[in-house]
Amino acid sequence: MAAKIRGVLVDLSGTIHVENTVIRGSIQALQSLRETGVSVRFVTNTTKESKETLLRRLTGIGFDIKAEEVFTSLTAARRLVDQRNLRPMLLLQPDAIEDFKGVDVDNPNAVVVGLAPDCFNYELLNKAFRLLLEGCPLIAIHKVRYYKRGDGLALGPGPFVTALEFASDVRAEVVGKPQPSFFKQALYEMGCDAQSAVMIGDDARDDVGGAEAIGIKGFLVQTGKYRDGDEHRLANPPFAVCKDFSAAVDQILTML
Amino acid sequence: MAATGEETDGRPSWLVRKIRGLLLDISGVLYNGSEGGGEVIPGSVEAVEKLKAAGYKVQFCTNEDQCTREQLVHKLARFGFKLLPTELHAPSPVARKLLQERNLRPLLLMHPGGLAEFEGMDFLNPNCVVIGGAEDQFTYERMNKAFRLLLNSDNPVLLATGCGRYYRSGSNLLLDGGPYTKALEFACDVKAEIVGKPAATFFLAALEGIHVSPEDAVMIGDDIVSDVGGAQACGIRGVQVRTGKFRPEDENHPTVKPDGYVDNLAQAVDLILKYN
Repeated sequence: MAAKIRGVLVDLSGTIHVENTVIRGSIQALQSLRETGVSVRFVTNTTKESKETLLRRLTGIGFDIKAEEVFTSLTAARRLVDQRNLRPMLLLQPDAIEDFKGVDVDNPNAVVVGLAPDCFNYELLNKAFRLLLEGCPLIAIHKVRYYKRGDGLALGPGPFVTALEFASDVRAEVVGKPQPSFFKQALYEMGCDAQSAVMIGDDARDDVGGAEAIGIKGFLVQTGKYRDGDEHRLANPPFAVCKDFSAAVDQILTML
Repeated sequence: MAATGEETDGRPSWLVRKIRGLLLDISGVLYNGSEGGGEVIPGSVEAVEKLKAAGYKVQFCTNEDQCTREQLVHKLARFGFKLLPTELHAPSPVARKLLQERNLRPLLLMHPGGLAEFEGMDFLNPNCVVIGGAEDQFTYERMNKAFRLLLNSDNPVLLATGCGRYYRSGSNLLLDGGPYTKALEFACDVKAEIVGKPAATFFLAALEGIHVSPEDAVMIGDDIVSDVGGAQACGIRGVQVRTGKFRPEDENHPTVKPDGYVDNLAQAVDLILKYN
């Protein structure tokens, strides 16, 4: 018999909201999920803004989400920087830098790259590139290729990390989705094994592919950045493909 | 230092078979670039003149895309080189020809200095991307524009003038177009078509222009991969100069073994005139 579902990992941007818009039915669906007593964690590569800003945005548009339930790649990167005592050059949006408060950034000896449209200009990328040539490590909050913003799809940090890797011949350490360590940390905090967990997200490669690589059942939603046929671009078909978050929750409710 | 790859009589092995034509790289072979314009590499002006006087067919193969061929000719004239725009083989004119043949309307991610090579083309409602060493033009929004165009294209076409990683400008190292090409490739799951060096089509077209076949030609350049490796891949002998971006490590390159090394262009030409 298949293991019962005890933990649900949920992506944020593109899955339950796009910027300040709730994806239809998501508030209600999240509530139904909570009423079953299953553990819920939000795992996000949304690194443009600090955890605090993100929470304010989500509660502002009507979601019932607590700080301790949100697991961001930004906080995972901060942990890494602290552990290794690095002084990073931060290619991050000003708001995301909040999550690095107190970190010494003078005379940098590392480069941290997140989703930072304001930093992806020629001058700053050259600066980062020269640090890498001197032997500094490159830490990528994640390598997402693109994301959905108000006016359409836009480049994520992945392409710029790839550019820096190619230029300097340095391989980035990736901390966010789809890294196994990131999903495992979230599972650990829920006290749930991979077989009893599902992951719901709009990114076929990073949400669904990443989760399934360590045995979590992947639910791909056809909202946010989803494009026709994304499920066929994966090496293995996802566990489920659903119209949206609320359809995914309906299916999960039958698996508890 | 002596030229390497010598036969017992002093004839370098890359001159065992007679050569009829030469492809010469420009930056790092004729002159060293810098913010202030750069400086001539000693002996190069005379070397080019001696080659031409001896009747050799010469084409100058460059990935320069930040100025037009005319401007490059002017710049080289300041160092004493007497070249004609028709002797230069550069990627932008090749890209332009490709675009016209395939009826494509380009979005140009290029340095403003090189845009004139595309003058008069149809840029409305672009359906492909041409990327080069765009420097400050590599803004987030321009990269996004290129990205969206490629992502929304059924048959995405990304032409790159070259695939260099970086270059030196005065005391600074600057990102070349290669990293940005890789960025778009990664974002859209496309493969760029390289128009300039090290593409075989680029070397072969240069030789066609002077009616010399690959086995009768030698390419002389300072870039072990792009100049030497690229030429060798299409049957042209590749000789590396120890000027420009040459580094001693190049002589132990894991994949590319040049047919010969010379200290500079002047030495290469002296050897040619003596042994060929």
